[in-house]
Amino acid sequence: MIGPRSLGLADVGLLLRSRPFLTLLVVAVVWIATSLVSHGFGSYGHLRYLVELAAAIGIVAAGQTMVVIGGGIDLSVGAVITVASVSLPLLSPGSDPTGFIGVAFTLTLAAGIGFTNGLGIAYLRVHPLIMTLAMATLLQGLLVIIAGGSAISVQSPLVVWIGSARVAGVPAGILLWFGVSAATLAILHGTPFGARVFAIGTNPLATRLSGINTNRITIWLYTFSGLMAGLAGILVLGMNRQGYVGIGDPYLLASIAAVVLGGTSILGGRGTYAGTIPGAILLVTITAIITVVNASPGWRSILFGSLILGLLLFSGREARR
Amino acid sequence: MVAAWRDRLPLYLSVQLRRNDGVRGLFVVVAAFFVLYVFLFPGLLTVGGLSKFTQNWFPLALVSMAQAMLMLTGGISLAIGATVSLGAVVAATTMAGTLGVAGGFLAVTTIGLLVGTLTGAIVSVLRLPAIIVTLAGAFIIGGVALLILPRPGGAVPIWLSDLLAGHTPSALALLVMLILCWKLYLATPLGITLYAAGENPVGAYRSGAPVEAARVAAYAISSVLAAWAGLFVAAQTGSGDPIIGNAFTLNSIAAAVLGGVGFLGGTGTMRGALAGSLLLSVMINVMFFLGFPPVAQYVAQGLIIIGAVALPEFSALWRRR
Repeated sequence: MIGPRSLGLADVGLLLRSRPFLTLLVVAVVWIATSLVSHGFGSYGHLRYLVELAAAIGIVAAGQTMVVIGGGIDLSVGAVITVASVSLPLLSPGSDPTGFIGVAFTLTLAAGIGFTNGLGIAYLRVHPLIMTLAMATLLQGLLVIIAGGSAISVQSPLVVWIGSARVAGVPAGILLWFGVSAATLAILHGTPFGARVFAIGTNPLATRLSGINTNRITIWLYTFSGLMAGLAGILVLGMNRQGYVGIGDPYLLASIAAVVLGGTSILGGRGTYAGTIPGAILLVTITAIITVVNASPGWRSILFGSLILGLLLFSGREARR
Repeated sequence: MVAAWRDRLPLYLSVQLRRNDGVRGLFVVVAAFFVLYVFLFPGLLTVGGLSKFTQNWFPLALVSMAQAMLMLTGGISLAIGATVSLGAVVAATTMAGTLGVAGGFLAVTTIGLLVGTLTGAIVSVLRLPAIIVTLAGAFIIGGVALLILPRPGGAVPIWLSDLLAGHTPSALALLVMLILCWKLYLATPLGITLYAAGENPVGAYRSGAPVEAARVAAYAISSVLAAWAGLFVAAQTGSGDPIIGNAFTLNSIAAAVLGGVGFLGGTGTMRGALAGSLLLSVMINVMFFLGFPPVAQYVAQGLIIIGAVALPEFSALWRRR
């Protein structure tokens, strides 16, 4: 985008208006400010840990970003994460030493749930909010039937590896997130499919009248979101070493908040995953700071809400259309 | 005066009848569930049975009205549940103290009004997306509720519990009164603007309708309704619980959408939303009497919500054959 000419004032202005860059800037400012106040916050190990925590949110938010840009929303991601982490031990056959088959089955299951969401939204014309919400309710019931109330510990070597391995000092979770990010950005901004997602989010009727099979795109979107939630579920399971009912609940709001903090319009048609990445890191950082402050649960909740609201005032204004 | 009214009555009735168009299917479903319920539990037709049933329904009916009102203006609130909790907590901490029941009622109403006005101002004046503002708001409001009452406790005078949740159909009477108030509100300038602001905000604004004021008023009134629902729940249980309202957020949206209230604003009726909340309420009771385990209730609830929302699409498919 930047041509051979030298960088001018206009380019700086352009950069400052770019939402992903602004979110990144906020993260940097918050990190520097906090590390000046709190010792150890700015250490490499701690920052790496923050990014590792953000990886799970970032991966769920990859699916969520796509769905939101396509004019929908997926409220079932929390439930899908729980389903993935609870059913993985059940789906892993004992005869498989690598744990690969269990992971493949789990991802298929998660994608299948997303596919079902897509079917309902595309063909039954159920509003995404209701379809995914009802799906979450339904899964919640099924989970208790499957898992009972107890926690299930994980044995699968592949999952444990994803949750704890360091490849050349970089946690495997971060590498996984890196891969997901590259794929998501490539799909969203480099393929006809991505262009159609933006088109559907902007004006579904016009898109359909242009001869694009919007139902198929919708189904793919929710399938992708389910798959990403499943992947995040495996990562979360690997990091916790235990799956239990409710493990995925915090990730629902976190994924939506990361998408919006990253500058993607909740109304659809506008945004990029490049903003969601710093959005997820920002969210984890806020939570970490609140933990450092060591307040009561009430104050922690108030602080969290106020900070998100404050950041929105700074970066989340919906432009008039 | 009387003559004019007599001339207008046929027109009024035919208009009101036409407004039933989208929700007739829902009315039939609700009626069918009711017949089943009476069949399973004939005691429903006594005064005591009806009182108990309307008491279980009442808080959900209130929050569904609150949510439907916002959705008619094109808004939405994810903070309804937190506001219910806040109302319950304030009621349980003030009513048994020096403020007394009247003072406590005033405190609950004031807090609801304050929360709603602030939310409405942020959404309509600062132009932030309602879904995110109320998401952050839910954290703040829930945090305040936790600060006031960190764990379930407090008390509500026993005579108030007996009055609201005893063996008299007072909840039903209150609901009828609120519905009459809603009819009156729709006749005021702000009430008419409510629909206009959702249907075509720019057109309404250019016609001189107080769009912003109508939106802020809708948020204020809906928060008061939610806070009252909290008061009622506190009276029902005899104490306050800072997280008791959480389930109401999603149920209120489900009820409004079941009732044909659109997400984009301007379409839908309050009678639809109330019928939607009635369906959810009757459904849970019927499943209880049929001996469904609580877990299967989740599954059935998810399926019935999707089914009821997809019903028009199914019938359209049927007609095409």
